[in-house]
Amino acid sequence: MRPTADLALACEPEHGCITCGDEAVALRVLRVDDERGLALCEDAAGERTTIEIALIDPVEPGDGLLAHAGTAIAAIESAPVGVEPEAVT
Amino acid sequence: MRYVDEFRNPELGRVLAGEIVNLVEPGRHYKLMEVCGGHTHSIYKFGIDDLLPENVELVHGPGCPVCVIPMGRVDDGIAMAHQPNVIFTCFGDMMRIPGSDGSLLDAKANGADIRMVYSPLDALRIAKQNPDRDVVFFAIGFETTAPSTALTLKRARVEGVTNFFCMCNHVTIVPPLRALLDSPDLRLDGFIGPGHVSTVVGARPFEFIPADYEKPIVVAGFEPLDVLQAVHMILGQLAEDRCEVENQYTRVVPYEGNLRALEVLSEVFELRPHFEWRGLGFISQSGLRISEAYADFDAERRYEVPGVRVADPKACQCGEVLKGVIKPFECKVFGTACTPERPIGTCMVSSEGACAAYYNYGRFAREREVV
Repeated sequence: MRPTADLALACEPEHGCITCGDEAVALRVLRVDDERGLALCEDAAGERTTIEIALIDPVEPGDGLLAHAGTAIAAIESAPVGVEPEAVT
Repeated sequence: MRYVDEFRNPELGRVLAGEIVNLVEPGRHYKLMEVCGGHTHSIYKFGIDDLLPENVELVHGPGCPVCVIPMGRVDDGIAMAHQPNVIFTCFGDMMRIPGSDGSLLDAKANGADIRMVYSPLDALRIAKQNPDRDVVFFAIGFETTAPSTALTLKRARVEGVTNFFCMCNHVTIVPPLRALLDSPDLRLDGFIGPGHVSTVVGARPFEFIPADYEKPIVVAGFEPLDVLQAVHMILGQLAEDRCEVENQYTRVVPYEGNLRALEVLSEVFELRPHFEWRGLGFISQSGLRISEAYADFDAERRYEVPGVRVADPKACQCGEVLKGVIKPFECKVFGTACTPERPIGTCMVSSEGACAAYYNYGRFAREREVV
């Protein structure tokens, strides 16, 4: 089944590439690594990915980010609902 | 799902569609261009064009990053990928864009070490894992994607990675819009502005459209109600004889853009005097290259590439599609010789390409087919 574009984080030729498509994905911050300028984030489908946060700091667990090509390009008010940040170790 | 459901409310959609009907002048034809491929995709995915009056026509712009890559640049990338000791990395759709002698996917099948990545950070990770190999990242995209490449090059410098190189094909959105507005082929009444590009550049760079060309532009989000509201706002401006830059996507787009991103872009990149666009030809100051300060990471300085201009296949009419002059189904090879499985032109490759959007959502003719 073709995944919906806004949930498909993978760049797979048969599904279309969201990065090539200039799409941004809404993510919720789970954990922040201030030293490296990276955040572990999760999308609405529970897919996790590491995101560059240099353009948006300060970022805290629970924040909503709009990310494109592995980089947060905007903060958003409403983060996708997923796992509670505290549950991540 | 929060943040999405409220922008897909069918009741509100019907109300907006009704208000749009009240705004249009009978007998007047409205031609609005959605600049971004993401909007094209939303329009056909959600059937937004079916909600609009017949005299409101949506035409598709050049804002699909892989669609505007000319064949010569694909050939240059393939030449680099065939260099000994190179791991060549690129985004997913880019692998299927045809060059003059096959795509990057074909080159991979022929033995080149070509790997698909989701972000430039993934390419940098591959470089760190393979210190004895050169890792080249084929960077494409508008201002939405360019900051990610720029930050990755800065990170590579900080981390002392010396085997990571970037073949820069980033482009900017304003010059092609100006070229379209100067084109005698196309008479447009207004623009749906690109939402995600604008998160980086803001809405301010589009002020030339009302100032110099007296056309309205509304920067819009990608959910169906976003697009409908943008159409409503453009038609509202036209009805009131106004033309200005309006921002429908205020929940994400600041008028001034992301200043930190713009700063990083100006540090890592500089404008090329000219860059070739598929269908639009050479456009002045429309492409980015790696700046002198980051020259060590520039793949084009490290490797010789053919650098040859290659004409599109004669049968392919991507150029006219990208300029909004013809609809995808008016192309001679649409859906027959050119399909998403076996694309001839770029517009059929990316899911945001106008041809792929038409094909995937069953728009094979002007009238919608009823099954």
